[in-house]
Amino acid sequence: MVTKEQVEASLTSKLKPIHLEVNDISGGCGSSFEVEVVSEQFEGKRLLERHRMVNAALEEEMKEIHALSIKKAQTPQQWKPSQDSATQAKDA
Amino acid sequence: MAALLSSRFLKGIANNWASASGYQHGMMRSYSTTVPSESDTHDDFKPTQKVPSGSTASLKDIVENDVKENPVMIYMKGVPEAPQCGFSSLAVRVLQQYNVPIGARNILEDQDLKNAVKSFSHWPTFPQIFIKGEFIGGSDIILNMHKEGQLEEKLKDVSGNQNSQ
Repeated sequence: MVTKEQVEASLTSKLKPIHLEVNDISGGCGSSFEVEVVSEQFEGKRLLERHRMVNAALEEEMKEIHALSIKKAQTPQQWKPSQDSATQAKDA
Repeated sequence: MAALLSSRFLKGIANNWASASGYQHGMMRSYSTTVPSESDTHDDFKPTQKVPSGSTASLKDIVENDVKENPVMIYMKGVPEAPQCGFSSLAVRVLQQYNVPIGARNILEDQDLKNAVKSFSHWPTFPQIFIKGEFIGGSDIILNMHKEGQLEEKLKDVSGNQNSQ
């Protein structure tokens, strides 16, 4: 099975995110994950391409993951403003 | 191991469910009826050809034709009336906001079709949405476009086909 740590490690090494949040939403089964990625590499890419990059970074894991929800795929510039809002206080 | 077993089990249920209900969906009739999958047939004895010609190339043609013929096409788990996955359900509900005709195929019905769609779009998960022949993405993207108003823009000239008032 795929662990949260594996997903984090793959995304970290391939996308060099400045913010990363991975949640196993399958109750620990490792079959569904929710991710938020903020990376410089998304610069100039539209959402579809960003999601493709995340999918590609998790190519190995995707063989076992049934559901991957990409909640966020933002550039550092996009991320900053929304960070101020109350709903984004997770990293505080 | 437990997870593997249970996922196989669930898959079995889904297939049975799909074969029983898939026919309700009008536009898919000509295709779905080619191989009724018997619930009591062991995998080894199931016909390997799901469409008359059976090759991957012809499945690709089916997908190509789907996205050409249907301004809004979704490949999903379950059918729009009864999605079998939260993400497919979400995507359908978003699209239904726009009163556009939605073409749909249940990929749980056919593993070969599922693979054909994946390789067509180079996208690993379902649902997958195509608008006017263009691959849009999955449920996260469609929801995002809905929120940002981009979906309305995309569907502008498709809207109203169904509800003209």
